[in-house]
Amino acid sequence: MATTTATTADAPAHEHAHHPPHLQHHFVSSEQQFDSAKLGMWLFLITEILLFSGMFVAYTVYRVWHPETFTAASAFLDWRLGGLNTLVLLFSSYTVALSIHYAQKDRLDRTFWMLVITLACAGVFMIVKAFEYGGKFAEGVFPGEAFDPVGHYAPLADIPYARQFFSIYFVMTGIHGFHVLVGMGIFLWLLFRVRRGDFNSEYYTHIELAGLYWHLVDIIWIFLFPLLYLIGHGGGGH
Amino acid sequence: MSHGHHHIIPFQTLTKVFIGLVALTILTVITARLDFGPLNFLHVPIAIGIAVIKTMMVVLYFMGLKYDNRVNGLTFGIGTIFVLVFIVITLFDTAFRGDLGNVDTETIMDRQREEQLLQQREPDPDALRVAPGAAAAPDTAAATDS
Repeated sequence: MATTTATTADAPAHEHAHHPPHLQHHFVSSEQQFDSAKLGMWLFLITEILLFSGMFVAYTVYRVWHPETFTAASAFLDWRLGGLNTLVLLFSSYTVALSIHYAQKDRLDRTFWMLVITLACAGVFMIVKAFEYGGKFAEGVFPGEAFDPVGHYAPLADIPYARQFFSIYFVMTGIHGFHVLVGMGIFLWLLFRVRRGDFNSEYYTHIELAGLYWHLVDIIWIFLFPLLYLIGHGGGGH
Repeated sequence: MSHGHHHIIPFQTLTKVFIGLVALTILTVITARLDFGPLNFLHVPIAIGIAVIKTMMVVLYFMGLKYDNRVNGLTFGIGTIFVLVFIVITLFDTAFRGDLGNVDTETIMDRQREEQLLQQREPDPDALRVAPGAAAAPDTAAATDS
């Protein structure tokens, strides 16, 4: 900060000499460019939080209206698969935080491998999710009108409003899963750019912002896991 | 270096936060499966509480808000307040529907007393008699109500 103030006076002549290639002309310094990008990302994350909060509101309203349905229907979700996915996402959040840590220390080789692990974790998450969805679709557990449970899920047909619970489940986890897929695309793109040598400890904005996005996806799952998977296994005879 | 402004979060801190998050995940599974008997209503507040603590750990350390520009924390804080407004104000409607739907001049208590009286009253045998012709039967039933 102090350096910025000191150089402002002779900025035009002086700064152009040290103009780093990534610095765009409408910013005073790399610092300001980085901070602006980050604030913009936080504003975007707030819109994401509000998008998901609409679904959390639907969840809350239906759970307040039909608490027994939520407890009974939730018991048909496999908490072990949900728990596994929670650990996978937490680990990927850790590795993406480490990728930024290493970028700040100019260890871009490690940044690359941390991003590879993050991408792999996202892949594992989607594969587990595919198995969960597949098992439900095979036995007629669909969102909305098509809901017609058979086999293992047959008892759901006798639970009033079980269809609403599963519609909420599919929409919330589905839109979350879509965010995981988008994240995978972003990490793949970052891997190419890291390999190409685009980033260094002075300029790693893209990795920082992708990390923020990925942590938000993790936070949404931190709430989805107990609220969807764990409410049917507590005491009280369920 | 002029970039000392970018706080590098130490490897140990990140690792400790990750271990803490895993521990809290295990804790949330255990508490959800325990039977608290008469205190079972605590399941939801405990689950939400643990999720909020985990979120704070991710936001403060992984997302670095603890070391960041205050304006980013302000953005996140204001956004979170609006999520709470969204949920609470919606529940003011949906959780109390019916209770507040009374637009009659008489009070809810008066109406409940009136309903009790109607239920206790011996029905008029004439009104219960099925009229000739099956199609007319629902109309007769409706007429009894008024």
